[in-house]
Amino acid sequence: MKRFLTATALCGTLSGAAAAQTYEITVWSGGSGEADSYRWEAIEMAADILEREAAIRGKELSITVDYKFDFGGWAEFKQAVTLAAEAGEAPEIVVTSHLDIAPWAQAGYIVPVEDYLDLDAWPLSDVYPNLMEIASVGGVQWGVPQDSESRPFFFWRDHMRAIGYSDAEIDALPEAVQKGEYTLKNVLQDAGRAVEMGLVEKGMGFYPRVSNGPDYAQFYQSFGGEMYDAATGKLVLDRAAMTEFYQFFVDAVEAGITSRTHIGTDWNEWYADVANGRAAMWHGGTWHYGRYQREGNEDFFGTIAFTLIPAGGNEGGRANTITHPLVYLITDQGDDDVQNIAAQLVEIATEPRINSLHAIQSSHLAVSKSQSSVPLYAQNPWANAATSVLLPYANSQPNHPDFGAYAEAMWSGLESAWTGTQTPENAVAELEAELTAVLGDNLIVR
Amino acid sequence: MRQDRIGFLFITPAVFAVVVFYLVPVLMTAVIAFTDMSTATGIRGGDYVLTESSLRKLDDASLPADTVAQLAEGGFVVDADGLAGIEAQFGAALTTRIATALLDEKFDNRREIERALNDLRAPELRITRDRKAAAALFQRSVLNTRHDTPESLRAALSVADIPLADHDQIVQAAYTGWSWTTRNFELLVSLPSTLRYALNTLMYVSVTLVVFNIGLGLFLAISTFYLPERTSATFRAIWFMPRILPPVLYVLMWKWMMLDSGFIASVLAPLGVARINWMMETEVHAWVAVILINGVVGASFGMIIFASAIKAIPQTMLMAAEVDGASRWQQVRFIILPQMRWPILFVTAYQTLSLLASFEYILLSTGGGPGSATEVWAMAAFRTALNNYGGNLQYGMGATFALVLVLIGTALSLIYLRFFNFQALLSKPRIER
Repeated sequence: MKRFLTATALCGTLSGAAAAQTYEITVWSGGSGEADSYRWEAIEMAADILEREAAIRGKELSITVDYKFDFGGWAEFKQAVTLAAEAGEAPEIVVTSHLDIAPWAQAGYIVPVEDYLDLDAWPLSDVYPNLMEIASVGGVQWGVPQDSESRPFFFWRDHMRAIGYSDAEIDALPEAVQKGEYTLKNVLQDAGRAVEMGLVEKGMGFYPRVSNGPDYAQFYQSFGGEMYDAATGKLVLDRAAMTEFYQFFVDAVEAGITSRTHIGTDWNEWYADVANGRAAMWHGGTWHYGRYQREGNEDFFGTIAFTLIPAGGNEGGRANTITHPLVYLITDQGDDDVQNIAAQLVEIATEPRINSLHAIQSSHLAVSKSQSSVPLYAQNPWANAATSVLLPYANSQPNHPDFGAYAEAMWSGLESAWTGTQTPENAVAELEAELTAVLGDNLIVR
Repeated sequence: MRQDRIGFLFITPAVFAVVVFYLVPVLMTAVIAFTDMSTATGIRGGDYVLTESSLRKLDDASLPADTVAQLAEGGFVVDADGLAGIEAQFGAALTTRIATALLDEKFDNRREIERALNDLRAPELRITRDRKAAAALFQRSVLNTRHDTPESLRAALSVADIPLADHDQIVQAAYTGWSWTTRNFELLVSLPSTLRYALNTLMYVSVTLVVFNIGLGLFLAISTFYLPERTSATFRAIWFMPRILPPVLYVLMWKWMMLDSGFIASVLAPLGVARINWMMETEVHAWVAVILINGVVGASFGMIIFASAIKAIPQTMLMAAEVDGASRWQQVRFIILPQMRWPILFVTAYQTLSLLASFEYILLSTGGGPGSATEVWAMAAFRTALNNYGGNLQYGMGATFALVLVLIGTALSLIYLRFFNFQALLSKPRIER
């Protein structure tokens, strides 16, 4: 709490003849736990390196790094950052969702990293271009990707075997899904069989995420839905894809493979269930790898198969996965010198070796190409496999100031269809009315 | 006269509290409700910056295509002005070097000119920050530069030779802050979800209030009144417990009772009843849960108020009734209830307002589900203004929701005062007239 209140501005003091520059840099990290400690420890390491480099150049530089990550939840974190920014007391560096870039850039809370960093120079030139793109809005590079991830579909191998798949067929699933040969229609069938055969309890054939999140937009994409039209910069509502996406969950409920009251299930219970084979199929994130081990699953690769989110099985549908990278942002605090130092720290923290510490410790994926040459990363079976199977196909949610409203409305439509309070058609009609009214010209309805 | 002044002195703290904790927030809510304030617009007001998206808006809004193109282009030009800047900042050597290699060259964006400058391998530009400063001197595009004031943007537009007639429209599109609008109220009327929130709130407040806060509260107060003192005190203490439990724990106990792995499901399972989530299975389940969870807490408030009010009824009246052979029901109907008008008014008014504004038990239990079936008005206000996955909080729209709640609350209070004939309660006793 004290950290929260500490003034975070710099003190550029001149002492004696030698100019010793002192900086206090604070890092606030959203959606983070102890396992994500390298989100701020990387900045601490970067400060150490920057000080040493300055010393070699004959300058005295002293950087103190302070951090805070226990905000309660994303909502509290975002409120804390925006209110602090309004009060002129924001931390110098923020680690947050890339979705915050659009609103925070408009509000003037953050400054573009491209004002301080050479994007053509190492290590930023080595960062995956699609991730750099995700950290930019309107052609301006606002942030630097801090980590990446992707949201795969999981199968419990034993149950797949029991319903008649050979080991070779299970191993071939990633390819079959990617080619669109294994679709969500197969998911309904196979999960149905797992429930019928009593391999899993009713409602646990397909066991989705328990709350709103980027994951659900994947199923909209599975049916060919697009969220954003790059040419016009507008959000897109594809009625047919949205209806089929809602219908899929209604079908899953009717088939008894997903529970009507699934939303709101306790996360801890959910993790314990999926990590121990109590569900036949589910979807999650690459960071689940570490969590499943903590839940007692000691043989991830022997028990679980993973693929992209399968295509819907309709025309225009496609297998996909969404990546929701966190980004380092520099806030508009203090003077230009402070922002420059903060940007330098972020740049150093992005170096492959340092970023790999975070990637492996927190089961996330790399942000730059050469991380696959860093032994710690290269030798990790999960990072290796997930990077090649998932990352090349990953897209992100659009950085659009209205995307929050879009995502909330999409979720509440899904909720009402899923729980049976509305038919998918009515839910989509209401969603369309809602979005048309709220977004107006910023929405294209197809 | 003097007594009056002392009177004012006494109510000063209360007036202060009302102003600071009620009037000011309500006024601020009212003001914000007429804005499109959000995370993106910021709270303090905005700056002026032309971005790709404001260009698109201008294009849609029929700004002359030539002007739009002119704004979009520009980029970076190595011209005499820029070179003069270089000379002043970096010296003649670099100026010559840049002039020789790049004079009159145009670059679409900053990255390209920075690359070109980097390729010069000039010692003055070895450090990234210096290279960026040099590149900035050649910027002729007005895009993506933040201006504090409209004048500053207008000046930049003039320098870029943008026709003066278009400046107003451009400045308006470039504004990043909030503006006054009545659109929130129009949205409130037109959105299908608003009606649902209103009906949900009506259902939630009226049923909880009538059945539990007043009905059960009265029942408990009257029934414990006829019990021996010690028994009734114990009984009331038990009913009071939910109120002193932290809401999170209290709701957690309800969840343990109602979830598909919970108490009710486990007790009914041996009887052949399928295990269901008794809290969320259907809308009816959710409503019963929401009303019970709130009602059990709410009833204790009425119980305490009513119980003490009954105690204030002169015992002699009840004794006389007893002597006259009145039954218990007749005592309640003709002696107790008529004297409870004031406490009932108070509890009704107070609980209506607190139910209107409260949603914590709903948020913790059903979360407004299934499918927003139990989402109430106050919760919608909270979600809109303070809780949004995408991070762009709609302060203006949320304030509009809240303002409507304040207006309804105030109107209801006035109606209650009228209905219960508050005037008569406060008038001087007849003997003093």
